[in-house]
Amino acid sequence: MGVLAPWFLAALAGLALPLYLHLLKRQTTTPKPVSSLMLFESRTQASTRHRRLRYFLLLSLRLLWLVLLILAFANPFINRNAAAAASNRLVLLVVDNSFSMRAGTRLADAKDAAITVLAGKGAARAQVAAFGSQLRFMTQVITDQSALRAAVQAIQAGDGHGNFGELARAVRALADSVHTPIELHLFSDMQRPQLAATFSDMALPANVTMVTHAVVTKAQPNWTVESVDAPGQVWGKDAKPVHVQAVIAGYGTPAAQRTVSLVVNGKTTATKTVAVPANGRATVDFPSLEVPYGFSRCEVKIDAADALPADDLRRFAVARSDPQKALLVHNYGDNRSPLYVGAALSAAAQSAFTLESINVNEAADRRPSNYAFIVLSDLNTLPSLLENALTEYVRSGGSLLIAAGTSAGGRSQIPIFGAHIIETRDYTRVPDHYMAVGSSDSSYPAVAKAGGWPGVKFFYALDIDPGVGPSAARVIVRLADQTPLLLEKRIGEGRVVLLTSGLDNLTNDFPLNPAFVPFIEQTARYLAGSERQGGARLVDAFLDLRNSNEQAREHAGAQSQAVEVTDPEGKRPLTLSEAASAQTFQLVEAGYYQLRLANGRQDEVGVNPDPKESNLDVIPDDVLALWRGKGNESTQNASAPGAATPQNTSQNKTPQSFWWYVMLLVLAAAVAESALASRYLGTQREEE
Amino acid sequence: MQQRFLNPSVLAGISGLELVAKTVVDGFIAGLHRSPDFGFSQEFAEYRAYNPGDDLRHVDWNVYARTERMYLKRYRGETNSSLTILLDASNSMQFGSHGVNKMDYARFLAASLFYLAIHGQRDAAGLITFDDEIRNYVRPSTRQGQLHRLMAALDQAEARARTDFAKPMRYFQEFLKRRGIVLIVSDFWESPESIIRSIEPLRYRGNEVVLFHVLDPEDVRPKLNGPSMLVDLETKAELEVTPDYTKKEYREKVEAHLADLRNRTRAAGMGYYLLMTDRPLDEALREYLTLREGRN
Repeated sequence: MGVLAPWFLAALAGLALPLYLHLLKRQTTTPKPVSSLMLFESRTQASTRHRRLRYFLLLSLRLLWLVLLILAFANPFINRNAAAAASNRLVLLVVDNSFSMRAGTRLADAKDAAITVLAGKGAARAQVAAFGSQLRFMTQVITDQSALRAAVQAIQAGDGHGNFGELARAVRALADSVHTPIELHLFSDMQRPQLAATFSDMALPANVTMVTHAVVTKAQPNWTVESVDAPGQVWGKDAKPVHVQAVIAGYGTPAAQRTVSLVVNGKTTATKTVAVPANGRATVDFPSLEVPYGFSRCEVKIDAADALPADDLRRFAVARSDPQKALLVHNYGDNRSPLYVGAALSAAAQSAFTLESINVNEAADRRPSNYAFIVLSDLNTLPSLLENALTEYVRSGGSLLIAAGTSAGGRSQIPIFGAHIIETRDYTRVPDHYMAVGSSDSSYPAVAKAGGWPGVKFFYALDIDPGVGPSAARVIVRLADQTPLLLEKRIGEGRVVLLTSGLDNLTNDFPLNPAFVPFIEQTARYLAGSERQGGARLVDAFLDLRNSNEQAREHAGAQSQAVEVTDPEGKRPLTLSEAASAQTFQLVEAGYYQLRLANGRQDEVGVNPDPKESNLDVIPDDVLALWRGKGNESTQNASAPGAATPQNTSQNKTPQSFWWYVMLLVLAAAVAESALASRYLGTQREEE
Repeated sequence: MQQRFLNPSVLAGISGLELVAKTVVDGFIAGLHRSPDFGFSQEFAEYRAYNPGDDLRHVDWNVYARTERMYLKRYRGETNSSLTILLDASNSMQFGSHGVNKMDYARFLAASLFYLAIHGQRDAAGLITFDDEIRNYVRPSTRQGQLHRLMAALDQAEARARTDFAKPMRYFQEFLKRRGIVLIVSDFWESPESIIRSIEPLRYRGNEVVLFHVLDPEDVRPKLNGPSMLVDLETKAELEVTPDYTKKEYREKVEAHLADLRNRTRAAGMGYYLLMTDRPLDEALREYLTLREGRN
């Protein structure tokens, strides 16, 4: 027996206080004057005896209460050997069902081992859990052997990536809540990639004894399609040829020839043979991916015939659709803006947009709602009819990019955007003849990918008052002299982005800068509201079900639109309430997920297991021994299934804290003290 | 009859004993419907034929003028024309459990009686303060300023030393040569037997002796918060006593003591009045004077 926090025992000095109050202070009672003692008689004998008895009982209770309280804080423990503690020990059976357990008969072996261990435990309190990417309890703490066996049998192979750090964290949380010793039996392939980044993440509490049951003892060779690089979307029927690049990796494998196939909607469209070096990687390039309109389920497969066939393919989805239309309105005679913007869009956005350029005089008969977004480039005049149509277009959800240029210098405010123009800034008159970007909001998509627009020279800009309050414009980029350069404002349900300079290579050299193409691409995607579709994700990744516009609308009180998720098995994993409110969705299975997002768009993604699960290397014994803890590595590593029971646990002394029992005694002592003290005070009142 | 009684604590707030006395006496007289004939005065009783040698001052000359016979006027209280108060000024009189201690209460009582005697009845009044010796003596007199002298003597009376009736009592005999009313105001913390033995001689000389037993409520019912050490104010002796004792045995002993003193006093032909200091003074005074009138 000992205490875990002995420094609290210093508080025992506080016992002097009740001793002082009871023994010393009692003798200093003030004598009471009376007229005469003539009729009084001494009654000291009986009274003192009673009082001392009463006081000593009260004093003893108070001292006991203090001692117990201090003892509780000092956290007392007793060393109990494992055999003695076995009666209240919790046997926790954790079966690894991460993706790598699909190799061979690993999962079945693990379950057999767990059932064997369970049979040896008799009527012990036990709990069964499956461990993939996180610990999932299959039962409560029960003693019913049949229910525990059924729970073990019910564990299915998963697609998650195991992490022993996450397992240790969950066990630590469990140990905090159950307060009894835990005998953790881990049935796993002890895959090396499941080790946490640091060993401290895998530390187990003192009252947890871990017994590992490795279902394999040595690494097995495995080939896998490690990654596939393919676009998620293809635009139009005349799109440029799409390349698909796949990386084939071998873990612990000899050099070999692998046949790699590209499968589109179940039909092999291309096959190649690639030489994969020993324990290395090889890249395969399919130059042309032909997919029909709509979503196509594509795979890259290899003919591996290895221990883990489930990782011999990698899925991805590709969507083919018509490009969206965008409109650029410019001054009559301005050929530069359409040239630069059109070139940037066609270069970067994989022909996702077709740009239609017209001069301002032709714009009156166009319907803005036919376009994904509209660009107004340096317009001298904006006919009121067009201005009204554009304002209505924006209010109802449309998007606008306004490049102010030099023409706006004669106005007092920017049309549609509504910001007040303070002054024009002509930087050709400053010593360097230009102004660079001073600060930018790197979280803004149009800026993030462009890297903050370094080296762009601005010769002319408008100084705009962004305003204050809820209707204020958000300043995204400022020039070095703090002049706002790029601003965004929400108007109604739409948004307007304002560039206070031009797109014509006259007021700046931005169109010739490498940052221009990503700026136009990201701005176009942002304004059109078209997030990337298709593609591939990893198991356990989260998918955004609502974009920022929809989230903002929901925050503003608008009714949320339901989303729909269909998992690879064709089931809908979201409940109705989740479908109406969930912002994200975790992809827990490998396969193809179909989604109908809140904005009404359809999407489909291919979900693949974490490629780290394909590495079937096992954790060395010395590392496992280090993880289990000192002294018992020789017997606690039950490498063969069924040989799991620790033999030397009876010699192990484990400290078991009993501070909560002491706290119960503190409570009891406090109640007894209160009762006695109130009885004593009650006697005094009665005497009065 | 509606009466108002003056709380002793209220009286303690009045500065000046004369004012206290006036307040008390006027207070209880005002409570009566008719003019009272209470007091220590000489009351007409009968006529007696003149005998040679009688004092000519007592001849009723009006009767002589009408009848040409000489008669003397006889008065009922002709021997009680002097009031002397013996005030105990021992340390035990200092005890008080509320606003007024026994000494103050005794002062108020004495002052009220002096006021009544001198202002109301033009009687002679005197004062002796004593503890274990005689501390002060104001000869009974009806002279101008007697009331002020008495009040000053009461003011100066300080509680000290311890009570001893036997020692100063023999001197009382020397001072009280003239018969009258003798009021002894004390808490009488001595055995009733020795008190009566010490006081009885005053009665033999024809004085009307009355004992005013002034006690604090806590003298009769002490309040103790647990076993306590009690200190005698006179002897400074200490004694540890329990509440159980004070609740039962002590109260019985006090009752017995009071009964014994009352019985012995009355048996000796003296008057006895118990005055608790929480009792309104004018009420107590009224009760005493009513009883006295009834006795006469």
